[in-house]
Amino acid sequence: MQVVEEPESAKSREEFAIEVRDLRREYVTRSFFGKSSKVTEALAGVTFDVKKGELFGLIGPNGAGKTTTIKILTTLLTPTSGRAFVMGLDVNRQIYEIRKRIGIVFGGERGLYNRVTAVENMKYFSDLYGVDPGISRKRIPELIHLVGLEGRENDKVEKYSRGMKQRLHIAKALVNDPELVFLDEPTIGLDPAGARDIREMIREMEKWGKTILLTTHYMFEADELCRRIAVISKGKIVALDTPSGLKKLVKDISVVELQTYGATESFVEKLKSLNDVIRVVADLDSERQFVKIQTPNAADVLTKVTQVADGVKIIDKSIKEPTLEDAYLRLVEE
Amino acid sequence: MVLSAKNFVADPQFVIPCIIAPFIFTMVSLFFIVSSSSNNVGASALLAAVLGGGLMGVWGTTVYGSANSIGFDRWNGTMEATLAAPSPLIWIVLGRVLWNTFIGVINGFIVLGIGMTWFRVGVGLLNPGLFVLATILTYVSMSSFGLMLSTVYVLSRKGGFIENSMEIPVYIATGTSFAVALLPFYALPISFIIGPTWGIEAIKRAAVGTAYAYGPLLPTGYWTDIAFMLVATLAYFALSFILFQRVETIAKKNGTIEEY
Ligand SMILES: Nc1ncnc2c1ncn2[C@@H]1O[C@H](COP(=O)(O)OP(=O)(O)OP(=O)(O)O)[C@@H](O)[C@H]1O
Ligand SMILES: [Mg+2]
Repeated sequence: MQVVEEPESAKSREEFAIEVRDLRREYVTRSFFGKSSKVTEALAGVTFDVKKGELFGLIGPNGAGKTTTIKILTTLLTPTSGRAFVMGLDVNRQIYEIRKRIGIVFGGERGLYNRVTAVENMKYFSDLYGVDPGISRKRIPELIHLVGLEGRENDKVEKYSRGMKQRLHIAKALVNDPELVFLDEPTIGLDPAGARDIREMIREMEKWGKTILLTTHYMFEADELCRRIAVISKGKIVALDTPSGLKKLVKDISVVELQTYGATESFVEKLKSLNDVIRVVADLDSERQFVKIQTPNAADVLTKVTQVADGVKIIDKSIKEPTLEDAYLRLVEE
Repeated sequence: MVLSAKNFVADPQFVIPCIIAPFIFTMVSLFFIVSSSSNNVGASALLAAVLGGGLMGVWGTTVYGSANSIGFDRWNGTMEATLAAPSPLIWIVLGRVLWNTFIGVINGFIVLGIGMTWFRVGVGLLNPGLFVLATILTYVSMSSFGLMLSTVYVLSRKGGFIENSMEIPVYIATGTSFAVALLPFYALPISFIIGPTWGIEAIKRAAVGTAYAYGPLLPTGYWTDIAFMLVATLAYFALSFILFQRVETIAKKNGTIEEY
C-alpha cells in the first residue's frame, strides 16, 4: 500500500493562521528632487508561524519592523521578497479573500469617522466588508456591548475619550467576525484603566477562538497575554518562545530594584560601574525614582548600592526574579 | 455596497463645499447671465440661463465632491482603514461619486427651481422625455469623470508641496471644465473629450431647442451629442479602472497610502 504524503501547504492550512517565510521589505525614500535615494531595510528575512487560535506577540524596539510585518500580512504592503500566507492564502495574490477574514486595529486615534456616531461607523465598515445587513444589525449591538460602549453608541465619535475611541476601534475590527485579528499597539496612549479594559477584551476575543497577533511596547502586557512571543530587532527575529521560555534566557541574573529619592544621572553612572552590574534601567523623571539593576550577583550589588548612594536616599530595595523586560532588553541590545 | 459611503458624504462637513458654495456661486452667475443678456430676454433664453446655472451647480458639486471624497479620507486618517477593506477601492469611490453627483443634481434642480421662480421663467420644456434621458446620462457621465479625477487623490507623497502641486492640476482641470461646459463657443479641444459637455448640449437642446443667448450650440444634433457622451463616459470608466488598479499597486509598493 502506498502512503501519499500530504503536501505541506494543505497540512499547514489546517494548523496555521499565519506562515511567514524569509520575508523582506525595503523602503526606498527619495530625496526631494528624486536625485538621491535612501534604502531602509525594514524586514531582513523574517520567518515565523502563528497557530490557529493562538494569541501571538510581536515585540521589539521602535523601527524594528512590527508594523511593516502587520501591513504585509494585512495585504496593505507588498513584500520585497519572501512569502507570507494568512489562513493559507497568499498575501500577494489572494488579497480580497484574506481581507474578508481578518480584522485590524492600529493604535492611535486615526481610522474612525469623527463626525458620525459609533453605530454609523460600524455600519459603514460592515458595508465595506460586505457583511449581510441582517447579520450586522444583530452583531453591531453585541460588539458595542463587548467593548462597553452601550449608552454612548449614538453619540458622535468626536465626543469620545481616547479610551472610548480605542474600544470602538476594536469593535470596528470585529464587524466581519474575523478569524484573525491584528492588533498593532492597541493600548498605546491609554491610561492604566483603559489599557486594562482593552486587555480584558483581547482575552475575551481569545476565548472566542480568534487568532490574535499583538504588538506592544509594554512587556508586562505581552507577558500577561501572549502564549508565544517573537522578539524582533532591526528587521530580524532574535528570539521566539513562550514568555517563560524567554525569561529563562536571563535566569542567570536577578534584578535589584531600588526606590530612591534624589537619584541623578551620576548615581546611575556609579551603579553601572559597579562589579557584576550588567545593565541599569532608571526612570529619573518622577519625584521618586525606580532603578533596576541586572546582575548575576544580587546580594553583593545590594550591599554596594548603599556605599555609592552619596546623598541619594534609598527608600526601598529588593531582589526580584528577572521579568520579560529583562530578557527583552538583553535580546534587543545584543 | 455602492451606496455604502452615502452616510459619510452626507456628513455635515460636506454640506458647505458641496451644496452651499456651489449654490451661492450659481445664484451669482445667474444674475450675471441674466443681466448680461438683458437686451433680448425671451422665455427660452431665460430658461437656458437658469438651466446653465443649475448645471454649473451640479458640475461643481461633482468635481469638488468626488475629488474630495478621497482627499477627505486622507485628511481624516481613514485612508488606511478604507483601503484595508475587501471591497475594491474603485467601488467605494464610485459609490461616493454617484452620491456626490446625485447631491449635485438635486442642488441643480433646487437652483433651477429658485431661478425659475425668481426670474419668472415658464416651465415650458421643449421635450421633457429627452430632457430626462439627457439628464440621467449626463449624471452618469459626470460621475465617471469624477471617478477618474479622484484617482489623483489616492496617491500622495509625504511633502505638502508635492501634494499641493498634485492638487493644482486638478483644480485647473476642474476650472477649465467649468468654462468649457458653460461657454462652448470657446470651442477648446478639451471640451470635446469631456463627456458632460455633450450631455449639457443635449440637455439644452431638449429643453429649449437651438436656443441662443447662452452660447451657440455645437453643430450637432441631440442623438449625436448623446453618442459622443456615451463614448466619452465608457472611456472614462475604462480609464478609471486601469488607473485604480495602478494606483492600488503603486500605493502598496510605496507603502505611502496612509500619509497625508
Ligand atoms: N513608509 C515608509 N517609508 C520609509 N521608511 C519606512 C516607512 N515605514 C516604515 N519605514 C521604516 O521601516 C522601519 C520599520 O518600521 P516599522 O514601522 O515597521 O517599525 P515598528 O516596529 O512598527 O516600530 P514602532 O514600534 O515605532 O511602531 C523603520 O526604520 C521605519 O523608519
Ligand atoms: Mg509600529
